[in-house]
Amino acid sequence: MDWRRMWVVARHEFTTNVRRPGFIIMTLAVPVIGAAVLAFGAFFGSQAELLGQFLEQQFDVGPEGIGVVDRSGFFSPILPEYEERFHPYSTEAEAEAAVLAEEVSAALLIGEDYLETGSVVVVSKGSGFSSAVVADSPTVRAFFADHLLAGRVEAELQERVSDPMNITSRVASLEGEGASGGEGSIAFNFIVPYVAGLLLVSTIFVSSGYLLQSVGEEKESRVVEIVVSSVRPAELMAGKVAGLGVLGLLQMLVWAGSMAAFSGGAAAIWQMAGAAALPARVLVLGAVYYLLGYTVYAILMAGIGALGTNMQEGQKLAGIFSVFAAIPYMLSTVFLADPNATLVRVFSIFPLTAPTTMLMRLPLAEVPWTDIVASIVSLLLSVPAALWVGSRLFEVGVLAYGKRPTLREIWLIIRGRGATVKRHRPGEERN
Amino acid sequence: MVAIEVDGLTKRFGDVVAVDDLSFQVARGEVFGLLGPNGAGKTTTIRIIMDILTPDAGSVLVLGQPPARAKAAVGYLPEERGLYRNLRVLETLVYLAELKGVPRTAARERATFLLESIQAGDWAQRKVRELSKGMQQRIQFVASLVHDPEVVFLDEPFQGLDPLNVERVKDAIGALHRDGKTIVLSTHQMNLVEALCDRILLIDHGRAVLYGRLEEIKRQYAPNAVRVRAGELPAHIPGVAEVALEQGAYNLNLADGARPQDVLKALVDRAVDLQSFEVAPVPLGDIFVAAVGGREG
Repeated sequence: MDWRRMWVVARHEFTTNVRRPGFIIMTLAVPVIGAAVLAFGAFFGSQAELLGQFLEQQFDVGPEGIGVVDRSGFFSPILPEYEERFHPYSTEAEAEAAVLAEEVSAALLIGEDYLETGSVVVVSKGSGFSSAVVADSPTVRAFFADHLLAGRVEAELQERVSDPMNITSRVASLEGEGASGGEGSIAFNFIVPYVAGLLLVSTIFVSSGYLLQSVGEEKESRVVEIVVSSVRPAELMAGKVAGLGVLGLLQMLVWAGSMAAFSGGAAAIWQMAGAAALPARVLVLGAVYYLLGYTVYAILMAGIGALGTNMQEGQKLAGIFSVFAAIPYMLSTVFLADPNATLVRVFSIFPLTAPTTMLMRLPLAEVPWTDIVASIVSLLLSVPAALWVGSRLFEVGVLAYGKRPTLREIWLIIRGRGATVKRHRPGEERN
Repeated sequence: MVAIEVDGLTKRFGDVVAVDDLSFQVARGEVFGLLGPNGAGKTTTIRIIMDILTPDAGSVLVLGQPPARAKAAVGYLPEERGLYRNLRVLETLVYLAELKGVPRTAARERATFLLESIQAGDWAQRKVRELSKGMQQRIQFVASLVHDPEVVFLDEPFQGLDPLNVERVKDAIGALHRDGKTIVLSTHQMNLVEALCDRILLIDHGRAVLYGRLEEIKRQYAPNAVRVRAGELPAHIPGVAEVALEQGAYNLNLADGARPQDVLKALVDRAVDLQSFEVAPVPLGDIFVAAVGGREG
């Protein structure tokens, strides 16, 4: 393997693909859509605020004010802060007349036995609904509390009675988890690897898409014949896998970054990350699985994809691997129910499902070291195996113009050595 | 000095023997014609020398090295060729040169120089797909030379070219030859082989059928005949079996054992008004058909 040539290929693949309009549009789509959603939300958010104010007005005492006929003595005189909206009347008849004349929206008739019974008659012009609104109105409730307590208790207590709760929300968290960060940490511990796994699956989809496009174009335009006269197929493949892997990762980071930014700000996420104290083990292993997983997948997909006569066909052939990557996500209920179930452990060791399985599993439970070692060893062994199979297929595929090898031929190519490997090179028959 | 040395080369694809115990040498600085009918094993041979395929048996040395180590010194214009359609011309050339180990800056300079030398300097920033087919072919030709190789393989370089571009490529090959480059030319256009090549190898079914200096081969295949432009010929000339008038010249087929100089002497002795006398030439195409057809027949 000539690293310099591989580097030239990787750089070429990255720099030419990063400029593709398709790539730029796809990469910017998420931030742009995110910004649009945010702007949309902000617009309707302010509308909602207005609506809220409107509804509040509907369900509170109107600006006309409320008449009060006080026989208990607790509400005379009306406290200065209520004078504007509460108007005293000496008789029920006067108050009722004021309601009918719409001078006030309703009248409260407070009996002599108010302290014992709490009974209050609400006189309103409309239906009983208006009475209910008055009774539930925070303003009216505060009016009662303040007048009952004024001068009898400390101002602070009076304030608390009229406005007993300033609510902030908090989600209950488990004790003794080691994550001291509060409500965000548990969700975060799960979300980060879950997202990392999704990122891996997406990178595989995205990068392999570019990979197959790149191989397909070189085959269709026949430029590959010149290229393989300068670099070995394995070097070409490795360069493509590396260059387009970085490209796919870049796209994913832009997407993930913009999503984080739009969903409450990256700063908040970082804060939460700090608080969550995501175990270093999970982060390090996550990175290991991510890299190994991408390498194995990309090499195999490049090999299989190269067998297609054009890009579409290549993508169809390589699509089978995407399914493997997504299996753990399809079975996420099993994983959540028991992260150390036998099925999960099997998926952890099988190289094509190991990366996503382990990324999901690690934060969910204390994964035995044996499983971690087994899965990493399995992936490490798979890299050369994938390179061996992938480069053979790729070698045959890139020179086979216009004809796809049959399944039997592919099997022979993989199994064969030396002459057998080259024997099924269909491009060779046209001399 | 030997540029390419092929010894006992064999390559099979399944039951098909594409190259069968093939041996030949290409001298440094010569234009060597690699000829043969479709499917004879030419491209397979070239691909092995280019290190794209590995042989089943035999050995190849390019400039004294195994093919894998000689990549940087070899240029290749494949028969199945194309360029990156969405890349700019200069970018494409620089990338292909970098793959051959040329540093980026040097690659850029060399590519620009070559483009200017074919009056294509303004194409540098154009995308390949915007160029006409003829222009693309010329860029492909430049691409095979962008790393200044010692040895150049041109597989069907005239394919699909109009007569004007055929002349241009022919001139370019002539210029490379004058620069001392070794050129291996594979083509079906026999007139161009005759015009350009010093030596040829004709292969069929993967085996060498004819190999050597073009003139010698032509001499071997020359029919026992002479072409004469003259006034009237006598009814009987010793050593001549048959006379035919073709395009204003007499074609004299000689009798067995007769030599052209005997016929010339007889004509002079008989005071024939001779304007020209030559041993009848044989077109390479005829030799090709005779050599390959003879084997198949």
